[in-house]
This record gives sequence, C-alpha cells and structure tokens, in this order.
Amino acid sequence: MRVTAIAAGVALAISLSACGGSSGDGDSDGGGENSTPEFNAGVNKVYNPSDTKGGTLKMANDADFDSLDPGDTYYGYSWNFIRNYTRSLVTFKSAPGEKSNELVPDLAESLGEASPDAKTWTYKLREGIKYEDGTPVKSEDVKYAVARSLDKDILVNGPTYFNDFLDLKGYAGPYKDKDPTMKNFKAIETPDDRTIIFHLIKPFSGFDYLAMLPATAPVPAAKDTGTKYKEHVLSTGPYMFASNELEKRFTLTRNKYYDPKTDPDTGRKALPDEITVDLNVNQEDIDQRLQAGDLDVAISGLGVLAETRATILQDPDQKKFSDTADQARLWFTSFDNSVKPFDNIHCRKAVMYATDHEGYLRAYGGSSGGKIATNLMPPLIPGYKKIDLYEFESKPNGDIDKAKDELKQCGQPDGFTTNISYRAERAAEKATAETLQQSLDKVGIKTELKAYPQDDYGKIYAGNVAFSTKNQLGLRVYGWGADWNDGFGFLSQIVDSRVIRPAGNTNFNVKDPEIDALLDKALSTLDTKEREGLWADIDQKVMEGAYYLPGVDAKQLLYRPERLTNVFITNAYNMYDYTTLGVQK
Amino acid sequence: MIVYIIRRLIAAVLLLFVVTAVVFVIFFEVPRLGGQTADDLASRYVGKTAGPEQTHLAAERLGFTDPLYEQYGRFVKGLVAGADYDTGTSVEHCPAPCLGYSFKTQNAVLPDLLDRLPVTLSLAAGAAVLWLLGGVATGVLSALKRGSVFDRGAMGIALAGVSLPIFFTGLLALSIFSYNLKWTPPGGTNPLDQDNPWDWAASLILPWITLAFLYAAQYARLTRAGMLETMQEDFIRTARAKGLRERSVVIKHGLRSALTPILTIFGLDLGLLLGGAILTETTFSLPGIGQYAVIALRNQDLPKVLGVTLIGAVFIILANLIVDLLYAVVDPRVRTS
Amino acid sequence: MTAPLETTGKTAEAPPEVTLQGASKKAIEGRSLGQIAWMRLKRDKVALVGGAVVVFLILVAVFAPLIVKLLAHPPNEFHYDQVNEATSLPIHKPGGISGDFWFGVEPVNGRDLFSRTVYGAQVSLLIAFLATLLSVVIGTVMGVIAGYFGGWVDAVISRLMDIFLAFPLLLFALALVGAMPDEVAGLRGYWLRVAIIVFVIGFFNWPYIGRIVRGQTLSLREREFVDAARSLGGRSPYILAKELLPNLAAPILVYSTLLIPTNILFEAALSFLGVGVPAPTATWGGMLSDATHWYKVDPWFMFPPGLAIFITVLAFNLFGDGLRDAIDPRGR
Repeated sequence: MRVTAIAAGVALAISLSACGGSSGDGDSDGGGENSTPEFNAGVNKVYNPSDTKGGTLKMANDADFDSLDPGDTYYGYSWNFIRNYTRSLVTFKSAPGEKSNELVPDLAESLGEASPDAKTWTYKLREGIKYEDGTPVKSEDVKYAVARSLDKDILVNGPTYFNDFLDLKGYAGPYKDKDPTMKNFKAIETPDDRTIIFHLIKPFSGFDYLAMLPATAPVPAAKDTGTKYKEHVLSTGPYMFASNELEKRFTLTRNKYYDPKTDPDTGRKALPDEITVDLNVNQEDIDQRLQAGDLDVAISGLGVLAETRATILQDPDQKKFSDTADQARLWFTSFDNSVKPFDNIHCRKAVMYATDHEGYLRAYGGSSGGKIATNLMPPLIPGYKKIDLYEFESKPNGDIDKAKDELKQCGQPDGFTTNISYRAERAAEKATAETLQQSLDKVGIKTELKAYPQDDYGKIYAGNVAFSTKNQLGLRVYGWGADWNDGFGFLSQIVDSRVIRPAGNTNFNVKDPEIDALLDKALSTLDTKEREGLWADIDQKVMEGAYYLPGVDAKQLLYRPERLTNVFITNAYNMYDYTTLGVQK
Repeated sequence: MIVYIIRRLIAAVLLLFVVTAVVFVIFFEVPRLGGQTADDLASRYVGKTAGPEQTHLAAERLGFTDPLYEQYGRFVKGLVAGADYDTGTSVEHCPAPCLGYSFKTQNAVLPDLLDRLPVTLSLAAGAAVLWLLGGVATGVLSALKRGSVFDRGAMGIALAGVSLPIFFTGLLALSIFSYNLKWTPPGGTNPLDQDNPWDWAASLILPWITLAFLYAAQYARLTRAGMLETMQEDFIRTARAKGLRERSVVIKHGLRSALTPILTIFGLDLGLLLGGAILTETTFSLPGIGQYAVIALRNQDLPKVLGVTLIGAVFIILANLIVDLLYAVVDPRVRTS
Repeated sequence: MTAPLETTGKTAEAPPEVTLQGASKKAIEGRSLGQIAWMRLKRDKVALVGGAVVVFLILVAVFAPLIVKLLAHPPNEFHYDQVNEATSLPIHKPGGISGDFWFGVEPVNGRDLFSRTVYGAQVSLLIAFLATLLSVVIGTVMGVIAGYFGGWVDAVISRLMDIFLAFPLLLFALALVGAMPDEVAGLRGYWLRVAIIVFVIGFFNWPYIGRIVRGQTLSLREREFVDAARSLGGRSPYILAKELLPNLAAPILVYSTLLIPTNILFEAALSFLGVGVPAPTATWGGMLSDATHWYKVDPWFMFPPGLAIFITVLAFNLFGDGLRDAIDPRGR
C-alpha cells in the first residue's frame, strides 16, 4: 500500500462491514497468542505477547514518507505509524487479523453521533488529553487541523475526502482565508472545548471512516507552521519527536503528557522508550539488517525483496521468523487505448493471449511472490469470482495461435510496434517489461522499453494522459492495492471513467459507460451479497473489454526479527501494527 | 600574495556563476527542447490531485513562467541577500547564502546539505588519509627500489586498482566482508559522537578502504613517477654531494618536490569527493551529499541540484586555492622563484 | 589531470601542463619519432599484451553477433529452465555455470551471461570510442588555437578549460540525461541515449586533451621548423596543418588511448546509476546494477560484467602506458 487508493468516501461506509471471511479459519477472530517462532506466527494472532516496556524500536524506510504531517500524508504505512505521535478522532483497533477492521474511538469518547439524515456528525473529545507541552487539546484544534488539510496547494499529499464531503461554502482553508478565528469555516462547529460538529454537504453514513483520517488529529493554530509543521508535529500520542532530520532519520521519545488512562479503546501498547526511523535506506540493506537483528521493522510494510524472500523461504531457521500474507494487490499491465492499434480490442486480446503468464509471475518471484492472476479483483476481496476468459491457467505460457488469430482480426497479421513503460526503480517491473517484450516478440509485436522514475510515474508519465498518448505507451506496467478490502475500494480508482484526470491517474484508460453504471448501481445496493455480485460483474466486463492484462495476485513476506514482541499483521493496513510492537533487550 | 588570492577568489566566484547558470540551462532549456511547458515542469511539484489550474498556479508560484534570466537573478539574489519563503502560515526568511527551498519537499536546501555534509566529510577524509599514506609510501618505496619485485608487484596492483570500478569492488567487498564474514555492518552510517567512535568507524571502514584503494593506486603511480624524476635533478645531486644522509635526501628534498604535482591532484580529488561521492555513497548507501544529489536528480528538484552543484564547485575551487598556496611551502623550487 | 568523480582510472601521471619535449627532441636526431617509438614499444611485453587484448576486445565487440550465434544463446533470450522457480536463483551452482552457459545465467530470467557480456563490449567500446573522438576533436582544435595564437585567445580558452574541469561531471551527466526528452532530432530510444551519453562524456572531457595539446603547441611554436615556415611566408592555417598537427599526432594518440578506459568506466557508471542505454540492451554497468540486488544470494552474477570492465580498462591502460613510455621514456 505504498500509494494508497483514493477511494471515494462512500466506499468507506460499506467497505469494512463487508470484510468477512477473507481467510476464514479458526484463528481469524484473532484471539490467539503464540511465543514459539514459527512461520506465520504473526498472522491472525499475536506473536510473542509482552507488556515489558523499554528499549529502542528501530525502523527503516527504503524511501521517505510523503510527509510526517498528519494533514499531509496518504501512505498506508504512514497512517499506521502516525498513531504513535498523533491521535485522530477515531481509529482502527490494534488487534490481529480482522478484528483490526473495527473502528474505535481515540480522541473522541465514542464513535460519531449522526443526525437522522446522516448529514451532521457530532463527536465529544475525551477529558484530560494534552499535547506534549502540557496544554490541553481543544475541539477548536481539531477544527483547525481539518481546515488546514483542505488547502491542497500548501499541504499537497493528503486525501480530498473533507474537501468532497464537508459543506464548505467556498471556504479554502486558513492559509487562504487568513482569518485565525476561522469564522468563515462553518462546516465545523465547536460549541465548547470538547464538542465538535461536522456539517456535510450530502448524507454519509460512514463518516466515522473520515474521522479516522490523520487529518483529524488536533493541530493548535498558534503552533502551525504550514509546510514546515512536519518538522515537529505537536504530539498527542504516546510518543513525540525528539529529533527530526528530514529525509534522513527521526527519533520519537516518550510523551510524558500522554496518559494511557485516556486511551482505553485503541489497544496502543507504547512499549519501547524510543522509536528511531531511518529514511532512504537501500531495501537490500534493510533486509539484511532485519535478518542480522540490527533492525526491527521495515516500515514500508511491503515485505522483503524477492531475492531475500528466496533465501528466507529456503532456510527453516529464517523461515520461522517470517509471516506471509496474501495481499489485496494486483500487479498488472494497462493498455493505452488511445495508442494505435490498441484502440482495437483484438489487438489487446492478441497481447492477452501472447503473454507468458508464468514469465509474468517469475518476474515477481515465482510461486513465493504470488499467483498468476486471471482477472482484476484479488481473491482477498469479498465477492471475488475467478474469471479466466483467456485461459491463463490452462495455457500459462500463452497461446500463440489464438494471439495470431486475434492479430488477423485486428488487421495486423504481421504484428506491430509499441512501447512498454515501467517504473525504473522496480526490478520486478523491469523483469515484467522484459518478459512481455520476449513473449510478444513471438507473435511479431515489437516493443521498446521505457523506464520512468516511480515518484512521478502516475503524475507525469504513464498516468498522464497526454504524455502516454504522445509517447505511445501502449503497455504500462503497474500495480494496484486496495486501501480497504472491498470491491469499491479496489475497483473504482482503476475502472471508473469519471476518475480520469489529465494527470496523476490510477485509472490509466478504462472508459466504459456500462462499467460506470454498474459501479453506481453497486453503491446504491444495500444487500451485501447482491453488491458483491456486482463487483464480480464489473470484473467480468473489464476482462471482456480486455482493458487490463492481469499479471500476479501478490503475496508479501514480512520478516519479524527475534527480539520483536507483540507482533501481528493488522488487516486494516496489511502489515504489522506499529502501535503495539515492543522489543526485548 | 594577497593580490593573487583576491584574483583567484574573484575568478572562483565567476566560476560559480557559470556553473550554476549551466545547471539552470540544463534544467529549463533542455526540457523545452522536448516541447515541455512551464506547467509541465510544475506538474512534478504539485499534489496528486492537482488539476490544470492548480498546476498553473504552482508554475507561477515557483516562477517558471518568468524568463530564465529573471529566475536566475532570483537565485543569485537569494544567494547574496537571502530570500523570503511563504510556508502557508507565515513568511519565513531564509538568510544569505540562501540556496532556496526544495520544489518537491519544501525543505530548505542549505540545512539539508549541511546535515549530510558530515557523512561525506567522514567518508572523504578517512579515505583520503588512507590513500595518501598508502599511495605515497608505496610510490616512494617503488621508486627507491626501482625494478625490484616489490616495485613490479606494487605497480601491477596499482594498475589493476585504477582499472576497477568502485561499484564492482564495493559490491565485492560488501559480499565478502559484510555479508559472508559479517565483519562490518551492511550499510548506512552511524553519526560520529563521543560515545561510540568505533561504530562510526566500523560503518565506514569498507567504503574507506574501497575508495582509498582506487585512489591509492593512482597516487602510488604518480608518486613513483615524480620521485624518479626529482631524484635525477641537480639539487638532489647537490644535497647528496653535501654529504647528507640518503634518508634525509629522500624525504627532505626528493619527496618534497615530488609531492607538488600530487598535491594538485589531491586538491582536486578531495574537492570532487567532498561535493558528493555519488558512486561510493550509492554502492554503500551512505546518506551523504552524493546520495542527496541522486535523489534530487531523480526528482528533478532544481534547488537541490543547484545546491549540490554549488557546494561541489565550491569545494573544488577551495581545494585548488589551498593547494596553490601550499605549493610555496612544499616545493623549494617554487619558493625560490 | 584528475579523475571525474570516483570513476577514475585516469591517466594521472600526466601533470596538467605536461609537454612531451623529450620525444620531439629526439625526433630531430634522424630517425622518425614513429620508428623509435615502435622499436621501444616492441620491447615492452606488457604493453604488447595489453595491445593484443585491446585488439581482441575490439574484434569481440565487432563480431559479437557471430560469436554469440556460434557459441551461445541470443542475449535477450529467456531460459526459465535454468532458474529455480521459487527462489529465482540459477539452478546450477555456482551462478548457473554449465557447459551450455559458460558464464552462468541471470537470476529470474536465465539470460545467458556470456552473450550479454559479449554484447556489452559493443555498447561499452562504441560509446568510449565515440566520446573519445569527440573529446579529441574539440580538445585538439581548442588546444592548438590556444597554444598557437597565445595572448588573450589563450587566456580565454585556458579559463574555459578551468571551468570545465571544475564541473562535477557525473552530476552533470545525470542531470542532462534525466532532463532529455524522449526524442531529439529524429533520434529515439537506444540511439538517442547513445548520442546523449557520447555527447556528455565527450564534451565535458575535452579539456584533458586540450591542455596537453596546448602545452605541446606552445613548445612547438617556438621551435626552428615553425619559425622557418613562418619566415618563408607560411600562413597560420598552413603552418597549423602542415607543421604542427603531424607533431601533435603522437601525444594525441597516447592520451586518447588513455582517455578510452576512463570513458569506459564512465559509461559503466552511468549505466550503473540507471541512465545508460535502455533495457534490455546488455551493458556492463547495467548488469552490475542488476547484480547489486543479488550479491548476497548469487554473488557470481557480478563477476562477468565486473571482470569484463576490469580487463578492458586494464588492457587499455597497459597499452596506453606502454605507448606513452615509448614516445616519452622519462617516466619509466
């Protein structure tokens, strides 16, 4: 979940309740505990439970946070980690497996109280919550925090849910408005120091999911330093910044004004005395330091590299310190229908048939990296139905004859030339591009490979409509993971034509009115089973239209060094929960 | 002497202007060749959700719509007079020399660079000591025992040394000493503090040795050639004739003047390294200036690229200047003339 | 003369203003410079070995397609049967080396490392030669002009060379390659990248040649035969072409030979940092960059490209050293 899906708000309302039974075995209610190191000991149960405090939890990141500012971050691991130094109104419960999908009050006394029309939501802050400097948290600070997060010119990274759902009446945030009293910001009311009322522009029964966003963590207006606030976020959580060297490392230390008595519901443990995070470290080094016990957690939550995975799984002594989990993530290649001849469905189908699917899987590490995907939705998503229109399973190395036949129907019997783009920093995507090039070559489709920097891949390269068309990026290697395990959360941002923008797209090209209509229908369908059936219908449509070439249903391998305590994978974030971890000395 | 220093300094400042101007041209004019507009450039620095208007606003805010000379003028002005920067809540003053704020992360560039400087400094200084001692000593011994087994062996290794890319030797060293033998930590660096200088050294020992090997080889060859040449000169013969002991002839007279050209090159090498040892820092994942440069370039983050280029050029120029001044001290020939 | 960042391998022995007086003095004594140099070179066994290896490598690069066709597998062909499905590592230990795959295979896709190393020589040498040629052309023209005309022309060109030498070269190369659009002047993909890399390496390296040529020209200018030509009414272009250039040929040849290995290392560094010629073209630097992912579990991957660079650069250095010693024996 490196880049989180921009799932439209409505999805949140229905997503989590629909999450039943993705791995439904006996432990899935998450009550188990275990202290013997074994493979998957941290899946659906707590590994090495402990209440021992002290020590330093050492984390490292192969890249950098988009921002440490709660009003400016949109990475899944960041939302998981930020709970160590901020408290939002509500949050996901820190518990193993599916229990983690439950929302629990954090800053607030209880979940939100809705008006009958679900357009007004009221929260009451707990008593006795203080900032790291000892000043008490006021409801006004939450209001200010949300207000500042509206300004996407200054705080560019965060989601736009509040911009979309609050009844703003043109209010553009305190930086533009320049009025510290926020009297023009009528969408949020704070009648007293502990009460906060949100006024929405449209009904939203799942507003608690928005109250979960880090942007609701309080920021006192007097302490806000705009883009520089990330250098020292004023803590309300169990830890606060001791030092922060941007882009290099930061250290959190205990916040003495954090009172666990004010935090009975979330399950935070706050065991280590100190947390250090190194930034921009080579992933190879991270893996090696994990295995050497020199590092405790790879914060990105993406798991070890393919090559490390191989060594771990081969060695029983290392395997027992690892957890594997299917991910609600698909590695795929997206066609650009605006690039000739991919405007013709038969040319797209030719690629579907010509692809060596086993080769695609190999690029992601073979059977230890996942499974050959036959359709868009990952099996983890409720309502998943296997759809294999192009016989990926029975012909894992492709079907040259059918591919050639499709080429004929497309009017390109001798093949054609096009480009394949991929993210330069990703070895697996490079390997994918190379295997695609090899297999397509067999039916006469000649390709040139184009590598682009991953940070701007969606924004200015492959996900930029004009760029992709101009540079004839017929095939774009990419991947997508769901924020929440739900059909809408996974599909909408990659198949809804109405989310396509000039740049920064995640839906690179699917424009099909039927699919849009199905999506809308699913949103208004209250019956879970029926709705899940609609997700599968959309999937079917996408495959019939040959808009995407599915590659691999991803699996990840997380390494859990011996000295870690209280380790478990939270389904809310698909990685270890970062608020419960402790270390043995 | 003072006039000379002033003249050199003026030349140095001019040089800095040229170097930064070229970066500007590369950054703004080269993409224009490919048909990119100011808005296209700005699209890298806006949020994921930004539309065309927001992008255009960003282009204006970052000054991309102004003519190039105006943008360059602003950069220079910030450098000499400081600049103001809108953080959203307030206007922050960035005092001279202001290298500006990153387009991408909005961090001030200079503090970032200063923050990373110790890593590069540790790397370069440690390696420099090693290669200077090792290289010069080997070179002198080789020259004195010209044609011996030692000479041939040392020069053979030296030639091999200059022919090896550091991203191969570094990888090899990591594979053997860090991964297989586990003698050293795998990468990254520990800050130097009083408590654990050993940790600091341990994390840098492999990069030091790998980097030093590369340069030592070069310096050994240089020293040997220089020594052979000076030992034939008249003043050495005079010194010998005066009955000085061979050791003092070699060290006081021979080595001293043989060191002159080495000093020139040492100055440049050290200057270049201080501006960021890109390959070494990449291979060993050291968070120094070089790694900063790579990140900045990947993100096309102009203020950072300018900062790195500037700091690199400053080091090269300073090193050259110091070297020139040291000449007089080291080389008797320069002193008498 | 110094190294562009840490990609050294530079011909460090030549102090910036070196002149090859010794050589030219002897040329007056009867036998031609070329003959004397060749005699000396013939006696230098090490240099001859270096030269032989250089010739061999050039042949390998030129006949890469033929060699691979006869002895190995196409460089971009996948061999999944050579790689373990679950670990992505070569099946045969070490590194997938077998009778069929002499240098082993690449992890994940099982590409033949022998073929890729052979093809890598093509890219490496092509770029190094072209870049050297560019440096030599610019360097010679500028150096001769500066040395021959002297005065303010010399001052301007010398300053220009100082400026170029103060440029953090690798940084510039990275910036320039990154900022380049996908298509320039009708060139795209592979050839565009080659052109950019050649330009960057060649253009920024000319002062190394320029300084040597300038120094050499300065000393030649004062010599009798040039004076004679001038007093006989020879015009500058004539003197430059007829009298100076032939005498400059030797040092230019020597320093070009010594510049080539530097450029090979430089190209490898660019590929290593991900801005070389695009995949799937095999380059030594690119292979090493891939090998960094695998050095822990498959250290053998780094050896074919690493040693290829090493041997090539070493051979050029040995040969260049010998050539220089043959022309100017004082350094021995």
